[in-house]
Amino acid sequence: MTDVLEADFCVIGAGAGGAVTAAELAEAGARVVVLEQGPSHDADEFSARPPEMLARLYRDGGQTVTLGAPPILLPLGRGVGGTTLVNSGTCFRTPSHVLERWAEEFGLELDETSLRRCFERVERSLSVAEVTPELAGANAAVARRGAERLGWSHGYLRRNARGCVGSGVCVFGCPTSAKQHTGITYIPRALAAGARLFTGADAREILVRGGRARGVLARMPSGRTLEVRAPTVIVACGTVHTPLLLRRSRLPDDSAQRGRNLALHPATAAFALMDEPVDMARGVPQSFYVDEFAGEGIMFEGVAGPPAYAAMSLPLTGEAHARAMADYRRLAQFGLMVSDESRGRVGTLAGRPVIRYSLCERDLAKFRHGLARLEELFLAAGARQVHLPLPAGVRPADATARDLKLMAFHPLGTARAHARAGHGVVDGQLAHHGLSGVYVADGSVVPSALGVNPQLTIMALATRLAFHLLGTSVPDRAMDPHVPDTQPDDEEATCRS
Amino acid sequence: MDALVSAGLEDFLAAAPRPQRFVMGLLLALARRPRGAALLARMPLAEQAAQATLALGRYDAPAVARPLGWDAAAVVARGRELRRTEGRP
Repeated sequence: MTDVLEADFCVIGAGAGGAVTAAELAEAGARVVVLEQGPSHDADEFSARPPEMLARLYRDGGQTVTLGAPPILLPLGRGVGGTTLVNSGTCFRTPSHVLERWAEEFGLELDETSLRRCFERVERSLSVAEVTPELAGANAAVARRGAERLGWSHGYLRRNARGCVGSGVCVFGCPTSAKQHTGITYIPRALAAGARLFTGADAREILVRGGRARGVLARMPSGRTLEVRAPTVIVACGTVHTPLLLRRSRLPDDSAQRGRNLALHPATAAFALMDEPVDMARGVPQSFYVDEFAGEGIMFEGVAGPPAYAAMSLPLTGEAHARAMADYRRLAQFGLMVSDESRGRVGTLAGRPVIRYSLCERDLAKFRHGLARLEELFLAAGARQVHLPLPAGVRPADATARDLKLMAFHPLGTARAHARAGHGVVDGQLAHHGLSGVYVADGSVVPSALGVNPQLTIMALATRLAFHLLGTSVPDRAMDPHVPDTQPDDEEATCRS
Repeated sequence: MDALVSAGLEDFLAAAPRPQRFVMGLLLALARRPRGAALLARMPLAEQAAQATLALGRYDAPAVARPLGWDAAAVVARGRELRRTEGRP
């Protein structure tokens, strides 16, 4: 049985890209239908208990793993809000050197004024502000002390949060609804403007007739099929699932780039035993960064969590693990993220995504160098003991790819944008090269690693796409009737300890 | 249910893709037995995965987490109160 709906735009996915596009289009008066595969999450269900929240808020319980050397854990959010529901909330604009590279290498000439307006618009919508030192907590203070003693460049991160009290569980569902994920910002705006949201809607195929997109076919939880008839389809299923939907829909791919070019920002973290109490879960887990080595593709960012989270990632076993966890209150943790040059690809096996990715020598060298510097940072901060994520007895300089214990949070590039049809899946306006009426608005269009957290880039590109589809320019701040009037630069307005 | 193991661990294991669920079930069964643990010790990657999963369950249990300064129930209660009093979503 098939239900039929008519719309101007059908948006697939309610995460960083889809929610933003849907809200901007709906507020301009367009008829918008949003199809989200996952459920809608209610903050009342957030328990601050990692195993339960991993099972509920993440795709595959947060246990998606890449195939390659080494295997990399790739947790992805699932549901309204997408990964913005479970990320740390860190907000960086696209670095200028990355935009320059996109122009040179991919022919993507993004108008600077227009892009700046997109960033401003998103930042106001999400109440982006810098974390205060008080709210950052003792874990950040450890890293700050180390960076200051070494003279390394550092700072407090900007985040999308309002009224944060430092619950310490950003990645397990914010219990105070302080984190401004798209499920509580853009999606309510879209719905208020008349958009229709369907959760549990598994988009199976983009409908094509007469050489252009005509809509989307989705399987609903009831077993019925929903056909959304729309002349424009915006695919925002995320970097892993977008190329699979494009392929399933048999869209042309002259570039042969669909599903390829996968960048991940592989990451790892080290622990340190300090003299002072740290209580790493008190405060904002990702509140501080050290960018001394950003030019080399190495970024240090805060990471922390409750005992269960720390115990899972502590690189020790047996008695050594138990002893370290007995001192949990004095444990500090900090992360290392690499702007990767390695490239993987996404395919399917028996209907499930298969992600292949192996670390190249240059990225392995970044990890070797980065881990040695991370140890230096902790020792400079006064650590009694540093636990690097390497097997016992292996020093950073000798580490092989298989020695590394990696996670990744920023998949990008599997439907990359390129001005030329033979080299990318979408063009500079995010329009599919091979079929009219299809656009992509998620991390899959980002053609290279960014070196910084990508949510703001994805949202700014989605904003730019929405106004392109509306045929208008992005409004300046002063002419912005829809965006909430927050004070993004006022720390006290957005954070309190 | 053992008070020193979180009930949420079962949800976590059940949420994994089927092949991983099967493999992890096998690894955990080994890790919980002395002879199995000795066998696992010869496979560092498998041992790390099993131990990390067991640690996730063990340290999530309130009886284990509270003495380490973490009270999930209190964090949630504070969140509910803030959302109620300030009209947050």
